[in-house]
Amino acid sequence: MPKLIEIKDLKTNFYTYEGIVHALDGINFSIREGEILGLVGETGCGKSVTALSILRLIRPPGKIEAGEVVLRLQDESSESKHPINLLDQTELLMQKVRGNEISMIFQEASEALNPVYSVNDQVSESFLLHRQKELCQGVLKEIEQDLRKGNSFFRRSILNMERSIYLRMRGNPSSFLLAILTFLPIVRSYKRRMVNQARTESIKLLRMLGIPHPEEVVRRYPHELSGGMQQRVVIAMALACSPTLLIADEPTSNLDVTIQAQILDLVRGLREKLKTSILFITHDLGVVAEMCERAVVMYAGHIVEVAPVDSLFRKPLHPYTQGLLEAVPRPGCKERLRSIKGNVPNLISPPSGCRFHPRCSFVMTKCSKRKPALKEIEKSRFVACYIHHQETEKNDT
Amino acid sequence: MKTYIIRRLLLLFVVLFGVSILVFAILSLFSPEQRASVFITDVKQLRDLQEIIQTHHLDAPIHIQYYYWVKALLRGDLGWSITAQRPVLKALFYFLPNTIELALFSAPLIIVIGIWLGSVSAVHQNRLIDHTTRTLAIIGWSLPTFWFGLMLLMIFYGYFRGLLPPEALSTKANLYVQSAEFVRYTRINTIDALLNWKFWILLDALRHLVLPVITLTVVQCALVMRIMRSSMLEALGRGYITTARAKGASEATVVKRHARRNALIPVVTVSGWLIAGLAGGVVITETIFSRKGLGWWWARAAVQLDIPAILCAVLFNAILFVVTNLVVDLLYAYIDPRVTLK
Amino acid sequence: MREPKSKYQFWNELGKSVKPRVKELKFSLHRITRSPLSLVGLALILIFAMIAMLAPQLAPPKRLHEPYHIPRDGYAAAPQPPSAEHVFGTTEGQYDVYYGVIWGTRTAFRIGFMVVGATILIGLFLGSLAGYYGGLVDEIIMRLVDIFMSIPTLILAMAIVTALGHSLDNVVKALIIVGWPIYARLIRGEILQVREEDYVSAARAVGCSNALIILKHILPNSVYPMLILASLDIGAVVLVAAALSFLGLGAPVGYADWGQMVSFARNWIVGPPQNPLAYWHTITIPGLFMLFFVLGWNLLGDAFRDILDPRLRRR
Repeated sequence: MPKLIEIKDLKTNFYTYEGIVHALDGINFSIREGEILGLVGETGCGKSVTALSILRLIRPPGKIEAGEVVLRLQDESSESKHPINLLDQTELLMQKVRGNEISMIFQEASEALNPVYSVNDQVSESFLLHRQKELCQGVLKEIEQDLRKGNSFFRRSILNMERSIYLRMRGNPSSFLLAILTFLPIVRSYKRRMVNQARTESIKLLRMLGIPHPEEVVRRYPHELSGGMQQRVVIAMALACSPTLLIADEPTSNLDVTIQAQILDLVRGLREKLKTSILFITHDLGVVAEMCERAVVMYAGHIVEVAPVDSLFRKPLHPYTQGLLEAVPRPGCKERLRSIKGNVPNLISPPSGCRFHPRCSFVMTKCSKRKPALKEIEKSRFVACYIHHQETEKNDT
Repeated sequence: MKTYIIRRLLLLFVVLFGVSILVFAILSLFSPEQRASVFITDVKQLRDLQEIIQTHHLDAPIHIQYYYWVKALLRGDLGWSITAQRPVLKALFYFLPNTIELALFSAPLIIVIGIWLGSVSAVHQNRLIDHTTRTLAIIGWSLPTFWFGLMLLMIFYGYFRGLLPPEALSTKANLYVQSAEFVRYTRINTIDALLNWKFWILLDALRHLVLPVITLTVVQCALVMRIMRSSMLEALGRGYITTARAKGASEATVVKRHARRNALIPVVTVSGWLIAGLAGGVVITETIFSRKGLGWWWARAAVQLDIPAILCAVLFNAILFVVTNLVVDLLYAYIDPRVTLK
Repeated sequence: MREPKSKYQFWNELGKSVKPRVKELKFSLHRITRSPLSLVGLALILIFAMIAMLAPQLAPPKRLHEPYHIPRDGYAAAPQPPSAEHVFGTTEGQYDVYYGVIWGTRTAFRIGFMVVGATILIGLFLGSLAGYYGGLVDEIIMRLVDIFMSIPTLILAMAIVTALGHSLDNVVKALIIVGWPIYARLIRGEILQVREEDYVSAARAVGCSNALIILKHILPNSVYPMLILASLDIGAVVLVAAALSFLGLGAPVGYADWGQMVSFARNWIVGPPQNPLAYWHTITIPGLFMLFFVLGWNLLGDAFRDILDPRLRRR
């Protein structure tokens, strides 16, 4: 499968009173088209920061220092896909990408929704931001139908006026004239048709996501919905424009298990229907096993291992991954749970070299000297550990 | 909704009851002789002081006094105001228009400018514009109203030779307004001038309004600005802002549509208190600029020991406050979908 | 059965609990020094405190038993501009402006501290009662608070001062009567809020009595908002007292009080046609003293709020 997005050497820092937090220290991985990639790690290892960095949503005191985020964008005019580095683009282009090509869903659904706007307002917003042309098309069809009904002269002249406005909007959504029209109090109501169109689309989308009685739900406000429903609305907002990449930042961590299962089913189904790639961020290895095809393991701002999920679980290579898997409680196992000794490091003054070395049972002297690079050990298995580097060196010579 | 309003209005009566007790408590701080002197319009009547005390039950036990006092109150008889030379209730309606005019021009300015400055300040936090507005706000908040008004007068009336004068109208306009040609609809100068199509009077009234409005606005909008700023900062830190950005909304949309709508909610409450509290600021402003409104009347009443007028001040403001609170709560329920009226 | 602690353990634990507090204190100090406005506020207040303390040296009183009575240099009505003899000039009735503003500083501190001190005590007491006992006591006290807070400060103070008599002492009394509700409400709010917190339930589960909870958990948490409120309040109180004196309801004529001095200036805003700003000193100087005094306290209160409010600290 071709690569959809490639992250090269991404570095992100946060400038705080206590010092500079080196949240991401040279991240390298890629997401392929149509795959579900898991991003695993403990709380605080930098998973969310990675997601926000991809979308360039890092705000002060944070700053993306270096690296590339290469997206193979489907050009509208041509068939070919040419790569662009998101970190180099203008903010205007990023706004076109966000919610459109790349979408994000969040952990805390109740926080992610704006309490003073209805579900309809918030889901429609996605359509209104990026699908104006399609909405105009729908409106124009509606106007045509209305015109054919044969009305009074007054009505027909209004309809014709509306049609010209929408024709103009379809051609040039950001025209200056339209901006003026939006400003005028009565004329402003021309937008009503488009808003209604967006509402129809929102209802369709919610129905597709399995929300019962979507016409009712769109009128509700976030605080009137259950946790699972809220998360579905957030997913709806993200999927409105059929993004090529969906970043799911721990979407089920706050839900109870039954709802979690439903949401995971939903996300899986979406991949089938819409052919979206998904970057699934989680700390739950069970979810990774269930959902993902490949997984990236992160520790303290470093990628330590990348592997297909099957081989990752059967034979973890990095000591950290091994520790993680050993810490998972097994039914029927009566032994004491094995935890990884030590604590997650402080990212203001992180350990030198490999950030895991203070806690590693297999630590060598060179581990504290230089950070091990992510090397391909077997076919599509990458590890950042000197133990396995020695093996490849042995294999090479 | 209806039951809620009815219930709140009933509560209004409870609070009014409490306020009446308070007012009566203040009243009873005065001796019976002092209170009797209120009913005297002529010096010769001083001999009949004891008689007056008897007739109005001024030396009876407290609860009986209270009963008679409330009875008179409900009849509309709040006593006679010596400073206004007319019954208190009539004096209230006589002085009300000037105060309403002042409030009419100040309140919107305070709210709009405060909200705008607070919003700008929050969005550009810790940059120059933020520091400037905050400094100006703190200075504005620290200004003694009466001093600021007098300084403005000194400069714009004194130094600039009558550019922006005190009082409500110039002598010429005043004479015209009181003549038969001018029809008094509302007794508010600006509105009446408009309704009479006399634009020169309108301009004259506006010219006299500039300084008082500035005096009132500067001090109060500092408060609104501060509340808006902190409210906006909190809204900007919430999750839904990140969501909006992740949807691809422009920064302007994020600020205007998402943050501001949430940030305005606490500001509504403060604006309500502001309007109710404008009465306090109005006392000083009207005194300095010699605008004969409620505040001017009450200030003179306090100096000249015009007891009924002072008590009217307390009562009026209490009622204003409670009604404003009710309106604010209703607005709140309208704006914030999470709030349900209980 | 708890094991008896060794001395080493005791100091060790004390050290462990103190270290984060010391760190937070250092952070607070850092924030104070980093914020120029708070330093300005602090400086202003210190300057005024010096002036107040050194008043007898800076402006020696003519009558030792009545230092607050501004000395008069004659009885002419028209104010005189600043000169060598009267550094800030004289105001109506030839009262020395310099003397008035210097001793007025003392008056301001007196009024501010007396009113705020008393209102804090009364408010703390009544508010704690309301929060602690709840029920009827709470209802009564809160209704009282509501009633007092439904009337603007100035107007209620005007009414009370009129009833008690026009003097500065009565102004202080009136402001105390009007001012305690905010503190009562604050403390009650803190108690109610903290009462529901998990750590209070935990403390109760371990066997802490209510009084201990209030003392150990609630009061320390509410010190910061009280501090912020108090420093902003001092400024507000001085302003209202000055307004009352300006209206003629407070300090008697000739008393060293800033508000009273500005009321002198009312008749002299506009000078003779050839020099309309002739009497600027009568109003500008006392006013500036007022402005900077209140500004100092407001800046300090604001600085406290930014520094001590846990939610705003780390921005």
